[in-house]
Amino acid sequence: MNATLPRVLLGATGRPLSLAEHQSTFTAPVRSSGLLEELEASGLTGRGGGAFPTSRKVSLLRSQRGHGKVVVVNAMEGEPEAHKDRTLLSTNPHLVLDGAECLATMIGAKTVAVCVPRDNQTVVHYLKRAIYERTLRAHKGPTFELHAAPWRYVAGEESALVHWLNDNESLPQYRPSKAHVLRVGRGPALIDNAETCAHVALIGRYGAAWFRELGTDSSPGSALVSLTGAVDRPKVLEVSLGTPLAAILDAGKADPQPQALLTGGYGGTWLSGQHLDVPYANETLGPVGAMVGTGVLVVLPRSGCGLLETKRVVDWMANESARQCGPCAFGLPALAEDLTHLLHGRPDGPTVLARLVERCGVIEGRGACRHPDGVVRMVRSALCVFAEDIERHAQGAMCEGSKSNEHWVTVPSIVHEDELVWQ
Amino acid sequence: MIALTSPYLWYTTRATGFVALILFTLVVALGTFVANRIGGTYVGRFELNELHRSISMVAIVFLMVHILTTLLDSYVPTGWISAVIPLTSKYEPVHVALGAVAFDLILAVWVSSLLKARIANRSWRFIHWFSWLALASALAHSVLTGTDSRSSWGLALVVTCGAVVLASALWRYFARPTRAAGRTALSPLSVAPLDGDAPEQPARRDRRR
Amino acid sequence: MAIKPKAGGFVLRVDPILCDGFGHCHELAPELVQMDEWGYPIIRATPTPLSDANALESARFAVRGCPRQALRIERTTGSI
Repeated sequence: MNATLPRVLLGATGRPLSLAEHQSTFTAPVRSSGLLEELEASGLTGRGGGAFPTSRKVSLLRSQRGHGKVVVVNAMEGEPEAHKDRTLLSTNPHLVLDGAECLATMIGAKTVAVCVPRDNQTVVHYLKRAIYERTLRAHKGPTFELHAAPWRYVAGEESALVHWLNDNESLPQYRPSKAHVLRVGRGPALIDNAETCAHVALIGRYGAAWFRELGTDSSPGSALVSLTGAVDRPKVLEVSLGTPLAAILDAGKADPQPQALLTGGYGGTWLSGQHLDVPYANETLGPVGAMVGTGVLVVLPRSGCGLLETKRVVDWMANESARQCGPCAFGLPALAEDLTHLLHGRPDGPTVLARLVERCGVIEGRGACRHPDGVVRMVRSALCVFAEDIERHAQGAMCEGSKSNEHWVTVPSIVHEDELVWQ
Repeated sequence: MIALTSPYLWYTTRATGFVALILFTLVVALGTFVANRIGGTYVGRFELNELHRSISMVAIVFLMVHILTTLLDSYVPTGWISAVIPLTSKYEPVHVALGAVAFDLILAVWVSSLLKARIANRSWRFIHWFSWLALASALAHSVLTGTDSRSSWGLALVVTCGAVVLASALWRYFARPTRAAGRTALSPLSVAPLDGDAPEQPARRDRRR
Repeated sequence: MAIKPKAGGFVLRVDPILCDGFGHCHELAPELVQMDEWGYPIIRATPTPLSDANALESARFAVRGCPRQALRIERTTGSI
């Protein structure tokens, strides 16, 4: 197999590949030994937002003593603008399950728990069928379990996912240190994003050198990008990491001269439209204040208003707070209020702006999970990228974009607090 | 086993009983002040909490004396075990049982509070909720058992304590936190989760609220 | 509970989920714990170091006084 795209989306048809179709698309067998070494050499980093080296996570779990180790495939995709995991599972669930099997072999787990949002019954159905097909194989791998949790922004957070598996509640838990391994039941758990698992499956077949033929040195391989906003239709593209942003926009038929891009997701950062020559990889996006995150790129055209989009996102994110920690439960709605105040050009704009900045500093780092940190990061980036527009709003002059009915970031409707389902 | 027959035991029992009731009423009232976040300007919130904790210790001492003098007194043949196991007393089994129930619950609250730093906060709070039941049982015990509750001042005392406990309970209920705060609460009255969509797999540890 | 301060250093940590904004910690250790506008203590993920015996003692009062047992004093062994 040569160094071309697509990789994880290879062989896509209108419906998920069956096991037979999957095996005829990816003919090379998965290597039986030296998997961990290949994974290390490949430099694969997590595709769920954290970009943590996958091989390090695997090594940590390998060294854990304990029975009942579990591999958890995280396909919760809490980020509303991200479509990659469900697209991947609708294209080729077997590739993801193969990867989970590789991970299970590497750490010595006998169970794989695949977690998807129960709101998407189509994907649930696809996975049920794929898991069933695997039970008919001659070679019995690990036991696959399907878990459908309620869809919430924080449901994909690792400790929330584990809490769901253990106690049927999708609420993040306090983790004093990230090195402390989460457990499902009594067994240590390796939690990896669905797309990460797909890449593991390919590395297991074609090796690290093949994997590194795409991408950059620090960010090797390919990645799925969810392109939304000013595009003809929302789409998922597989790109080689390190591709310039302009090329991605071009391939996705998006607005070639946007005002800004929201990178990483709702908890990510805005990037000004003048940086389109920057390669799409964390080491190059980071210095300009952007990120790969969950592979989300929302394109904001010049006719849009960054402040309006930010306010809409923060409104929703505040409502998605698990409300377990004071600074998040009270702080995020306060940020939303301030943004609304600024957006509508109400009096005392500069004071509210200063208060917004101060509140950002007070809220960050004080939650059990990184939900409030993500919101603070996104708001700060908006204050930077849309500084001029925000200044005008603060002086009382709403821009044209903010008065229009057209919105560019798709934000789900706000569910009333009493109707939020966490169980 | 010593059974004494001094009237002073009997007087002590009644007196310490009343004092314990008054003190526990005060403890519950203070506890409600703490739970409703009173203080911060003129009196420290931590001071109310400390009062709550220290007065409860005094109250327990009086309660112990009350129980001990009752058990030692042969005038009321309750039997030692009746202090902790309800309905085992030969004398007024139901009335003494109410006292035993109150004592058992107070014992549980006390021990759990001694171990507060070592047990899960949820468990501690779950046991702590039973202090309301303990007071209710103690009030019933006072009204029914107390020789003095037949007199006007005794009855007035018990009724006053009852009124304070009731007022505290109502205040506690109506001022309870509705948002953010209180998510870790595990009151016996907390609503059980709805069994909407069943999960695809059963939860690994079926620890239902 | 006698803790002998050592060169390793101690930090004050809060479990933000258990914390319900009672505010006793701020009253007992105002030099260590400030409050935000919503009544919650400002103790971050990068924890508050306890630099001397006075700070340690204040912290111990705060830990004992917290109605939710949300505070903890931990020894730092190096990087967290």
